[in-house]
Amino acid sequence: MALVNENTRLALVIGSGSVKCAAALGLMKVLERENIGVNLVVGCSGGALYAASIALGWPVETSIDKTLSLWTRRVTEKRSRKAVLQIILPGLFHFDENFGLIDDSRLNRQLYGAFGEASFADTHIPLHIAATDFFDGEQVVLSSGLIWEAIRASLSIPYVFPPYRVAGRALIDGYQSDPLPVGIAIKEGIDIILAMGFESPYQERITSLMRYNFQISSVTSNNLLKTNFAFHNLAHHSEIIPILPEFTQRIHLFDTEKIPYIIDEGEKAAEQALPYLKRLLGATGVSG
Amino acid sequence: MEISDRQINGITVIALAGSIDALTAPAIAESINGIISRGEINLVADFHGIDYTSSAGLRVLLGAVKETRSRGGDLRLAAVQLDVMKVLKLSGFTNILKLYDDVDSALASFS
Repeated sequence: MALVNENTRLALVIGSGSVKCAAALGLMKVLERENIGVNLVVGCSGGALYAASIALGWPVETSIDKTLSLWTRRVTEKRSRKAVLQIILPGLFHFDENFGLIDDSRLNRQLYGAFGEASFADTHIPLHIAATDFFDGEQVVLSSGLIWEAIRASLSIPYVFPPYRVAGRALIDGYQSDPLPVGIAIKEGIDIILAMGFESPYQERITSLMRYNFQISSVTSNNLLKTNFAFHNLAHHSEIIPILPEFTQRIHLFDTEKIPYIIDEGEKAAEQALPYLKRLLGATGVSG
Repeated sequence: MEISDRQINGITVIALAGSIDALTAPAIAESINGIISRGEINLVADFHGIDYTSSAGLRVLLGAVKETRSRGGDLRLAAVQLDVMKVLKLSGFTNILKLYDDVDSALASFS
């Protein structure tokens, strides 16, 4: 892809949002059609999957196929017996930071199956994946090593999957530190940031401890999203363009059959922002 | 981008149309700063015609709100459209700005 304006650096930041993050593929379709190049891709949690596929230069159809085979209910089918015992008798079964209700071996295999030995050095576009340090809450930006491991770390949904260790650090889901990690692109000196973010859905009914936990998690992460996004909007020297797909259908964690619909909505949201983006790229000296 | 202002009962209503973004922000900021420097510090921004705002637009808004409030006045928004409201909500601006359904309600809020 060629840059419309080679003096202006453009980043795509895909926030957490599980399967909804596939909307980024719709955005990419529009950018590719318009021959607008991307200089940096950032992703966290579900967004890390699509950020990686975009950075690796996979065609949209390949990304869809890999997502469909990777992100299925099967990754959460195998419960961790040890975790149940750890809840009942924490002392006896050594409850610690590696707790996770789901055995992650299947998720790890699926991720490896999709991304194999691909590393950050193999990407066509520089890629950063955000995770969170379990012990101090700091955002951890992963930019080297195996991509599947970075995605795995960024997908460590608390309570569900155990943290994943990278370079000795126990890492949990990127949304715990910033659900829409625009700050990474700002730090890299990017001018125009296309920010695709999603609020975490609230539970329709609270019928279990897990649903209660997910509800609290959504409340916290949505407030974190707004706080961080406000700060980044005010701190950035140039422009952040929010790309916010509008979903009229409720989308659950594993609704991969809705990916075509999700991509369409991403495309629509991108089309809405496109006229301004093109004007901005055509102008010189972009500043706010 | 179009911008015009009029006085209603001592309050300045600023009507805007188009986008508030990096390309239009400097002109909007200049215009609002001009109004404030005339001593008009109670402002209603009529957003009925605003269809888009970005980070640069948010910075202009914040600058104007801070300036009017520091002088004892306020900038209040009226008739914010759905797409713009999404951005204001996502960026937490609905927590710090006073928003009204229409210009009349915004004007009444000053009394």
